[in-house]
Amino acid sequence: MSAVWQKIWADLLHRRMVSLLIIGTIAAAAALFTLALTTLFNLEAPYDKSHAELNGAHLWLHFKPQRVRAMDIRQIEELPEVAASTGRQYSYSSQVYFEDTRAPVSLRVTPIEPPRVNRLRLLSGRFIQPEADEVLISRDMRDIYQLSVGQFVEITRSDGQRVELPIVGIVYDPMYDSYRASLPPYVYVSEHLLFSLFPDKSAWEWSLGLRLKDPESVAVVVDKIQSMRNLELVNDYTDWHDVRSSAIFDAQMAFIFLSAFSFFAILATVLIIVSIISSTVLAQIKQIGTLKAIGFTGRQILSVYVGQYVFMSLVGTALGYTLGLAMAPLPMRTITMSLNTSYQPPFNGWSLMAVFLVIPGITILSALGAAYRGARVNIIKAIAIGAEAPARKTFWLARLAERMGAPMPFVLGFNDVFVKPFRSLLAMVNLTIGVMGMVFGLALTGTIETYRQNPALLGIVYDAIVTRQETSDIRTQRLLAQTPGVEAFYGETLLEAETLNGQSLNLRAVEGQLSAFPFVVEDGRFFQPGSNEAMAGKGLLDWLGLKVGDSITLILDKDKGTKVTFQIVGEYPEPADAGQRLMVNLSSVSPLLKHTNPGTYYLKLVQSAKPDEIRSFIAPRRDSDLNFTLLEDIVPDTNYLQLAIFMLAAILIGIAIVNILIMSLLSAQENLRVVGIIKTIGMTPAQVVIMFSTTAAFLGLLAIVAGIPAGLVLTRNLLNFMASFTGFGRIAISLDTLTIIGLIPFALFISILGSFLPARWAAHLQIVEVLRRE
Amino acid sequence: MTTLIRVSDLKKTYQTGSVRFEALRGISLDVQSGDFSAIMGQSGSGKSTLMHIVGGLDKPTSGSVRVGEHTLETMSETQLAIFRRSQVGFVFQFFNLVENLSVQANVELPALLAGGWNRREIRKRSAELLERLGIASQAGKHPWELSGGQQQRVAIARAFINQPMLLLADEPTGNLDSASGDEVLKILKEFNQQGQTILMVTHSAQAAAWAKTVLFIQDGLLVDRMDGGDEKSIAQRLVDLR
Repeated sequence: MSAVWQKIWADLLHRRMVSLLIIGTIAAAAALFTLALTTLFNLEAPYDKSHAELNGAHLWLHFKPQRVRAMDIRQIEELPEVAASTGRQYSYSSQVYFEDTRAPVSLRVTPIEPPRVNRLRLLSGRFIQPEADEVLISRDMRDIYQLSVGQFVEITRSDGQRVELPIVGIVYDPMYDSYRASLPPYVYVSEHLLFSLFPDKSAWEWSLGLRLKDPESVAVVVDKIQSMRNLELVNDYTDWHDVRSSAIFDAQMAFIFLSAFSFFAILATVLIIVSIISSTVLAQIKQIGTLKAIGFTGRQILSVYVGQYVFMSLVGTALGYTLGLAMAPLPMRTITMSLNTSYQPPFNGWSLMAVFLVIPGITILSALGAAYRGARVNIIKAIAIGAEAPARKTFWLARLAERMGAPMPFVLGFNDVFVKPFRSLLAMVNLTIGVMGMVFGLALTGTIETYRQNPALLGIVYDAIVTRQETSDIRTQRLLAQTPGVEAFYGETLLEAETLNGQSLNLRAVEGQLSAFPFVVEDGRFFQPGSNEAMAGKGLLDWLGLKVGDSITLILDKDKGTKVTFQIVGEYPEPADAGQRLMVNLSSVSPLLKHTNPGTYYLKLVQSAKPDEIRSFIAPRRDSDLNFTLLEDIVPDTNYLQLAIFMLAAILIGIAIVNILIMSLLSAQENLRVVGIIKTIGMTPAQVVIMFSTTAAFLGLLAIVAGIPAGLVLTRNLLNFMASFTGFGRIAISLDTLTIIGLIPFALFISILGSFLPARWAAHLQIVEVLRRE
Repeated sequence: MTTLIRVSDLKKTYQTGSVRFEALRGISLDVQSGDFSAIMGQSGSGKSTLMHIVGGLDKPTSGSVRVGEHTLETMSETQLAIFRRSQVGFVFQFFNLVENLSVQANVELPALLAGGWNRREIRKRSAELLERLGIASQAGKHPWELSGGQQQRVAIARAFINQPMLLLADEPTGNLDSASGDEVLKILKEFNQQGQTILMVTHSAQAAAWAKTVLFIQDGLLVDRMDGGDEKSIAQRLVDLR
């Protein structure tokens, strides 16, 4: 065996504790890196992925009953733009009952065999059996009414008898628009069951899902269908773009927060590895001097250290990758389920390659850098003082502490902080990363909580939504004005518009008691009623390169060339279309267009409002077309997000503790001589522990001072950077003072905890052994 | 005179893997209070091991060591630490000073660790010791600013700050030129004349000649004892033992 190999194995085996700790740190860093990559993989375009996997339809047509014929369906399916279709789909608007609740639903026939187009994704339970009296419910139904597999719903048959049906599965439909659906939540049944419940097939509604050759040709296809016959066939249609936009709204918080955390985790991984490896190699400079003295060449020295770290990094990376793979399903399954996307197992060629390239790569580069520095150092200097000569003067804080009568172990602890400033700096960097990780995790969860408690920050300024179909606007408004528990409301018409450059966007044309709603204006001011002023989402401003104060001219009706110019007076958090919307006065567009009556009404409820009573008041009859949805059914659930971030933050803190442990151990090893001396002259084991803890606590304090502001700045910048991708608008970081105050003792505790084992080790060192070795 | 140190059938075995090494193979000896004893022997004879065990730095494999009222083999690590700082002063070949503490801080360190005295008393005592050892003017300096002889005097001052009943010196002149070595030995002799018990390990016959008693150790056993004697006769006895 060559001298280099001998030395590599000797170092690995004889410094077992340090080797194991380094492997442990690399493993933890690799696990974090794997989790970060897995998170990013799973966050990538969740809706697009699901839509592709389920071969989702691009256009869903809801036909007007009695006006559509089988021939029309065939004709539509034969349009050249159509690639495939779901075939005629049957549904029936009804209501289901469970416990004391009555819920309007759309009973939809689902084929027993998975269809070619627009398959359903089973989230839990199983699909229905042929001819069995059982139902599947949509994810939205589950979320709104907190239903689960195994529960029962009742349906009143056409003969007036109630039938109890078990829920056997929960499914996700890639074409159900959770945000602006005009239809109530879906309950899926077999055709056999629908027929047994409502045998009059003429009362069934027809719909058709189309998969288009060019997904962007929705408007062309709709125009063609509208002009097919003189009678208007289509009652309503769903464009996949709208569903996608709603899905993005649901996912954008998760995307922003989790991707920001993943990028932070990757950054932390790199910093941790660089500092820990540089630190360990530099701790061996004395030994490098000895190796050079006995004839090792610079290249051999590099080989010794690179060899050791290649071995340790490969073992650590393999362990960490396995650990990451094992841990990933826990947060990722919840996250992907909430994003309605399929769970991407973390094990794939890309992640394997990325982890095994990045982690050992950084490790080896760090080792090379430090070993190169060591290989060039003067032999005598290296042997005499190692990487860094101890400070020759007493640290001023130690002198001050002594003058103030502090016990000697504290004084010596303070003194140790600056005995080796470079070593202390590396330890502080590690601690600072740990503190930043804590700040990051806390700021993220705090911010999520703030958004959850104040949905106005997300642009959701209302408590409930009412949509109408047949009921007139005037009647709906009159009804809402009389509804007990409704404090204020405003109506909205969603209009399509185009810029003069042909860029399409949606306009929220609103009217009503707007001042009663807590609109958040991020820049500028709210528009004046009756004016041609507008507020824009951040995404729109970024997209069109506009700013508050600019004007925008839009074409509202291409055929007639109807144009209108708005002055943008404010920026608001727009939750839909990646923020690419404009909000204007309805009065500014209604004289220019037909059919601008609001179809959606946003409600502010009084505190004591009873949702069930409001629902009954607004839609007392089974066939009512007014649909009432509460806010809590709209705002995305953030619990899974907070849980995932907590888990990732806990891993980061764990890594920080291991790092402090390694740093303290290396520091203890370098200060062995001093420990030996002071133990000889009578320092007790407890005093040694106090001395080490004082050093660690002081470094922890410095890390807190540096880490809290740095963590906040990084969190804000990273979140806003990620938010700019989704047009989310500016994110105000929320981290309350109490949490920051609580963080200080926690960070100190972590710091002391990390130094405790090395301190105990030093405290119980055999003095004779130390004196002999030194 | 009373017996200050009583060592009975002291054995110390080191085990490294499968290799066993018997450093002390059953040493018994008494050192009287006020004595100045030198322990001589070749490298690896066990003289430093004996001193370490007597000073409470190491524990015996078997046998007993009694220093004053303290039975060392029964004491815990913390009790031994308190014993070392209150009852024993150490002087080493390589001085073992804390580099980035001033001379004064180094001297005061054991007293401050003990915590029993007030700081003014400690300062007064360290000033007296530094004055007595002729290094009062160096009090504010750091060890690296001093010569070897001066550093050893700082180590001696540190050893005496807590007024120990026993001073243990391990090759105190081993790292000094002969003039500085003689000065250090002269200081030790002066302290001994004032009643200080000193146990010194040395391989130098010249240094051992300053002691009242010379104990010869070979292969972990006490093989001879010489009361008084000049450098030549001690050196000759050492040669005879080989």
